[in-house]
Amino acid sequence: MSTDSTNTVNQAAAKQDPQQLHDDLHEIWGNPKGLKALTIVNHTTLGLRFMVTGMVFFLIGGILAMLVRTQLAMPDQDFMSPDIYNQVTTMHGTVMMFLFAIPMLEGLAIYMIPKMIGARDLVCPRLTSLGYWCYLFGGIILTSSLILEMAPSSGWFMYTPLSSSEFSPDLGSDFWLLGITFVEISALSAGVEIVVSILRTRTQGMALHKMPLFAWYILAMALMIVVGFPPLILGSILLELERAVGMPFFEVAGGGDPILWQHLFWLFGHPEVYIIFLPAAGIISTLIPVFAGRPIVGYGWVVFAIIVTGFISFGLWVHHMFTVGIPQLAQAFFSAASMLVAVPTAIQVFVWLATLWLGKPKMKLPMLWVMGFLIIFVCGGLTGVMLALVPFNWQVHDTHFVVAHMHYVLVGGMFFPLIAGLYYWLPLFSGRMPSENLGRWGFWLTFLGFNGTFLIMHWTGLLGMPRRIYTYDTGMGWDIYNLLSSVSSFVMSAGIAMVLLDIALHFRFGKPAKQNPWNADTLEWANSMPPSAYNFVSLPKVETRHPLWDDPNLPYTMAEGKHSLAVASHGRREMWGTDPITGKVREIIHLPGNSWWPLFAALALAVVCISLLVRVYALAGIFVLIAGVFLLRWSWENGTHPKAAPEAAVTPGDPPLHSRTMDGPGVWAMAIFLIANGSFFLSYLFGWFYLWTVSPEWRMPDISPLSLSLLVAAGLAVSAGCGVMEKLIRGLRHKSDVGLGAGLYLVGGLGAVQVVFTGWALYGANLSPTETSHDAVMLFGLIYALFHGGLAVILTVLQGLRVGYGYVGAYAPFEPVVVAQLWRYNVVTFWVLVGALAVLPRVIGS
Amino acid sequence: MVSMMERLRLTHPFHFVIGLTLWCIWFVAVYGGHAVACEAAAPASEQGVFTLLSGGLLLVSVLTIALLAALALWCCQAAKQHQGRRRFNAAISAGLYLFSALGVVFVALPIIGVPPCL
Repeated sequence: MSTDSTNTVNQAAAKQDPQQLHDDLHEIWGNPKGLKALTIVNHTTLGLRFMVTGMVFFLIGGILAMLVRTQLAMPDQDFMSPDIYNQVTTMHGTVMMFLFAIPMLEGLAIYMIPKMIGARDLVCPRLTSLGYWCYLFGGIILTSSLILEMAPSSGWFMYTPLSSSEFSPDLGSDFWLLGITFVEISALSAGVEIVVSILRTRTQGMALHKMPLFAWYILAMALMIVVGFPPLILGSILLELERAVGMPFFEVAGGGDPILWQHLFWLFGHPEVYIIFLPAAGIISTLIPVFAGRPIVGYGWVVFAIIVTGFISFGLWVHHMFTVGIPQLAQAFFSAASMLVAVPTAIQVFVWLATLWLGKPKMKLPMLWVMGFLIIFVCGGLTGVMLALVPFNWQVHDTHFVVAHMHYVLVGGMFFPLIAGLYYWLPLFSGRMPSENLGRWGFWLTFLGFNGTFLIMHWTGLLGMPRRIYTYDTGMGWDIYNLLSSVSSFVMSAGIAMVLLDIALHFRFGKPAKQNPWNADTLEWANSMPPSAYNFVSLPKVETRHPLWDDPNLPYTMAEGKHSLAVASHGRREMWGTDPITGKVREIIHLPGNSWWPLFAALALAVVCISLLVRVYALAGIFVLIAGVFLLRWSWENGTHPKAAPEAAVTPGDPPLHSRTMDGPGVWAMAIFLIANGSFFLSYLFGWFYLWTVSPEWRMPDISPLSLSLLVAAGLAVSAGCGVMEKLIRGLRHKSDVGLGAGLYLVGGLGAVQVVFTGWALYGANLSPTETSHDAVMLFGLIYALFHGGLAVILTVLQGLRVGYGYVGAYAPFEPVVVAQLWRYNVVTFWVLVGALAVLPRVIGS
Repeated sequence: MVSMMERLRLTHPFHFVIGLTLWCIWFVAVYGGHAVACEAAAPASEQGVFTLLSGGLLLVSVLTIALLAALALWCCQAAKQHQGRRRFNAAISAGLYLFSALGVVFVALPIIGVPPCL
């Protein structure tokens, strides 16, 4: 198929001076210097910041790994005390999983996705910035626990009751729970905006089935983050509440159950493995066709495999819990589902092999890492199928075999592709090529060192060595294996150091790269190297999967401004908003400029985090309010606000600005955020029903403490508010804003009635949340409803104010549509909550 | 309403997620229903697999398989009637429905061999 890009050459634009266009766009998009660099919201800069920060945390995690291997190198060592060893192993896993793997891959996606799909930035740039600061501050708070010798020591999955206050009375668990929750704000922010960006900002003509495979992988990853992270956020909040104020969610005597933590953790934890693997596989699916010199074999099969992996990975979580005592039939379900997930993975492996087989592979440096990935990951996948078998799983549970398997999957499945990708895109980052010699040394030392460390660890595990023991007796038969593993781990470290050295040196000594140095097919190589802040001077029409193979001149015509949106005179940051399926242009999305609000909001949240850590709750409350004010002020500078897009003029023939339509990216972002919120809510309901059904000491009162009449009144109020909101939206659809302001205040008033009635029901229930888990769970649910009711009131009243200021109306109807979605969500969740907490206990009884 | 009807067409990418969502709902229903039933009214172990609970789980599974298989077939037919983007969407959806149906078969197999509440 040939590209239509040449057909979209804008003759009027072609007459513009390209250098002048570049200068004008730079004026609008360029990054400030000095202190103002903290306000940057540009995806290229923030993507790089994510990756550099991720590498720093990787080095910290790597040093911790070296300490572990030093301790285990020989029997009866006292290099570290047991407590320090527990802190080091816990922090190694935590740092690598939460502060390196996910943020690093998110950073790559943040950097790469707009460039690959022909956009100028991500769709919510201030959210990218907030995400980065939350990640940085959360990471610093968490790792500072190491310096303070207060690091968590209950293992990276923080099982209760070991992590509960009874067995971990110091602050280690709190550092983990608060720090990780803070970092997860970052992951969720990135997840939401990446989904919306991929669906709504692809360049003109790039239909879903023409999208680069990397974007498919990242779309799946982002959606999995959106659905997969909330269970852990809920678990972390519940455990912190238990530790801080004594709500017994996981304490058997109070009616809780420690197994609930395992469920919540692994509901997140298993998809997490695939959240890490999918983008890495995306790198592989991008690189193999380029170095094989041919399109991938079976694009559709890969899309199929990505979607299957994304779903099935949510059905495996109990395979981490085979030994906790669940019925055999339930174990069989999860065993079968665990084997099932091997199918899409195998499809991808065969697709990659077929592409290599049918192409003419060039064994350049990135391809070495791809081959290393294929070997290691296939081995890790096979031991994964072994672990899916219940009897074998019981035999090797909590041994070094599991540790070895996990590293084969994660290092093979994430680290090797990541380095392949970094080498591949290095010329794009810097405009320079890496050193083949140093790079090859780095690869072989890493590859051999890795296998020397972890292949041997399988045998150590099969010989019965448990994980997380800080030392072992000589004579157990594990001495030589541990010594070999430790020596090999240092070889691997030397290899990684060589890679990092190569990357560092190439910025100074690397050969300048030519345009599209690997002869790649995707749009990111149409950027200048290194890229400008706005990516592309003009945005092409792309109707092929291989735009640069089909039209090698595309980078030049784009840089000359010969395609669309080569306009800077309006002073706005603009890009296309396109149909999520067909790629047809629907509107012009205008993006906000650099802003202090994300940094200020993240700083306020950091103070909240530290205040909770040191248990100064009043201060935490004050800074929650301050953070809320910052976020609301941020939301105020939108739409037709003078700092956003007060003028709606566009070039004749172009579509309208998104803020003048009913379907801008904010609508989509809210919808995706509500999916995350829904996942949180469903996890909560799971917890309620789980404890009710399973907890041995669950105490359901004979009479429900909640007033049904008050809750029904509250439900009617929120339903009425939603109804009025829908009527206002219908009016806006018909270009009528008669009574819009008053209507919004009425909706806000009905929301306030809901809040009052719900609060009244809560007050009247006289709950004892520190006595029984029943009351604690009930309190949590009602606070959830109150928070959402209050949020809806605030956002709706603000919309009313914006109508008064003239920022919202029939000419700019966008924002009420965003808020209306929250109302719909509140109606559904509130009635479900009433049913679960107040009606069902009355029907079923205690 | 119009956009909702558009989404129901078998050539819409909405179907990329329906099959596996049904698989997930079936999985949670069977796992959760099984756990609650074993907690609330566990059948006697000497009954083996011939219990009301196993029968119920099998029935739910068979109905799910029938629904998924039918959707796979309809998507397959839709794929044959279209070209380009619509064909791609329907073909992928057909594959995903088929995989979901087979996924139910594979995961449900232990119901006929393992007593429910051991």
